[in-house]
Amino acid sequence: MAEPIITFQHVYKRYDDTVALGDIDFELEQGKFYTLLGPSGCGKTTILRILAGFTEASEGKVTFKGQQINRVPANQRQINTVFQDYALFPHLNVFDNVAFGLTLKRTPKKDIKRRVLEALKSVRLAGYEDREISELSGGQQQRVAIARAIVNEPQVLLLDEPLSALDAKLRTAMQVELRQLQRRLGITFLFVTHDQGEALAMSDEIFVMSDGKILQQGSPVDIYDEPINHFVADFIGESNIVKGRMVADYQVQFVGKQFECSDAGIPAHEPIEVVLRPEDLVLTDVAKGKLTVVVDTQVFRGNLYEILSHDADGNQWLIHAVHKAKVGQEVGIYFEPEDIHVMRFGESEEEFDARLEQYEGDD
Amino acid sequence: MKRFRWQNIYLALVFLVLYIPIFYLIFYSFSQGHNMNHFSGFTWAHYQELFQDQRMIEIVLDTLLVALLSSLLATIIGLLGALVIHRVKKPMWKNTLLSLNNILMVSPDVIIGASFLIFFTFLGFKLGFGSVLLSHIAFSIPIVVLMVLPKLNEMNTSLVDAARDLGATQPQVFSRVVLPYIAPGIFAGFFMAFTYSLDDFAVTFFVTGNGFETLAVEIYARARQGISLEINALSALMFLFSLVLVAGYYVLNQYNSSKKGRKRRMEANHNR
Repeated sequence: MAEPIITFQHVYKRYDDTVALGDIDFELEQGKFYTLLGPSGCGKTTILRILAGFTEASEGKVTFKGQQINRVPANQRQINTVFQDYALFPHLNVFDNVAFGLTLKRTPKKDIKRRVLEALKSVRLAGYEDREISELSGGQQQRVAIARAIVNEPQVLLLDEPLSALDAKLRTAMQVELRQLQRRLGITFLFVTHDQGEALAMSDEIFVMSDGKILQQGSPVDIYDEPINHFVADFIGESNIVKGRMVADYQVQFVGKQFECSDAGIPAHEPIEVVLRPEDLVLTDVAKGKLTVVVDTQVFRGNLYEILSHDADGNQWLIHAVHKAKVGQEVGIYFEPEDIHVMRFGESEEEFDARLEQYEGDD
Repeated sequence: MKRFRWQNIYLALVFLVLYIPIFYLIFYSFSQGHNMNHFSGFTWAHYQELFQDQRMIEIVLDTLLVALLSSLLATIIGLLGALVIHRVKKPMWKNTLLSLNNILMVSPDVIIGASFLIFFTFLGFKLGFGSVLLSHIAFSIPIVVLMVLPKLNEMNTSLVDAARDLGATQPQVFSRVVLPYIAPGIFAGFFMAFTYSLDDFAVTFFVTGNGFETLAVEIYARARQGISLEINALSALMFLFSLVLVAGYYVLNQYNSSKKGRKRRMEANHNR
């Protein structure tokens, strides 16, 4: 593994009595797209501000290319930020905004011009250099903010919910654009968002956060398919979560029935939670189904039907179905053993990874 | 529609009442007589008299000098004060400082003037240009603070973060981001302080000693001796001067807000 470009080692951040960050520990590799994902107030922006140098960690070590940077002021870090509200300078036009960092470094005028125009071109804003900021749309301002950051050729680009102010369509377009930009520049992006869809679509690696802690780290697929606990499962995508009990390896019991599953390494009879994603549930006849439910409501979403149903025990089941059902109808639900994901209560990420490795090694 | 017209009439009436005394004064500055009882033929005589009045011209220049110097210094001190108040984090301290500032704004000029007089005589400070200048600076500072502070509050803190993020040192953040942003507030504060100083009577009346006069004090002194139409001529000129100031301020504003648009249009034509 290459030397990490950024590490956080046991970083804490406290404000008077409240703990904003508790024991944050992670490494970022050069040239990857990372996302800090969590609900507002979970501490993800605090991590960004510590990394950018706007606030200091109360405890712990932050390194950049192996050097501790806890006390390096923001203006001396090779890290640039794209702010949530863009923070463009209203008294400067587009060119001067983008050139701001370069003029501070006393770059020759000719180089400034070339690099600014290049940066504007890379965010598809060529020809906008003489515009005033107030004349630009939200999406354009957003791209000026990105150009202003990347023109300084930072090693790491921090993005603080930069897409949250855009409308849905533009947001999706910008997601693709940001991802392409990151690949082209080859620099490390650390993206902060509370939008799980955004995180899944763009990231190489996601850190799911809650209450000042990183709950789980992994690729979008890992996190979606194997959430570590109830919070992650609920936060990432939609899910059906029911309580159950481990019977033996590869055998789990919930809603009063025993099912084959793909999880192991958990002591028998341990209470667990089971996640079933709504898109993994297939509507079928009562006879062929593994579960029997009654349809409560059905909403047409364009590409699918969102069906809410309940079983005999009163558990709710959300199903994403291609074909429609009838409200009040009794239907069967079918799923494969690998669609079941078992979560233990209070399992840490290390324990989870260790268990995964252990029983996958058995196969 | 009808209601709209009533509104116009009301507005016209209010302005008429406000402006008639001034126009009355100006009107008689052109009268040949020596009082304002009846108009007795047109003349420039009072204006000629005014321009030959060496003492009056000196006083006008002194007044302008005091206004300019005091507003300039008050702007600098007030700006620093506003920056400090803005930086105070604890709401209680901030409110205390703001209240102290506002009390100076609302307290009567007579009290401020009297207290300055007591203060200066207590210190043995010689009354004259210096004491007038100092007191004008003192009562102008709260005005500047009040004009600059909203601009600072309005400024997004992420602008400062962004500037630092892009490599600006603390002084560069101030000169390149904060100062341009709050400039309109600073200019407004300067102009307000300037006009306050120009037409201040009460404070100046207390702290000016023998041998130094400002326009307001001088006009008051002369009016007590019985109005001379020279005063009318002076008032007419001052009214004209303030008209020019207001017009100038308006033009400047128009220029500033349309500059951007015009620049864009010129670019567009150029590119075509």
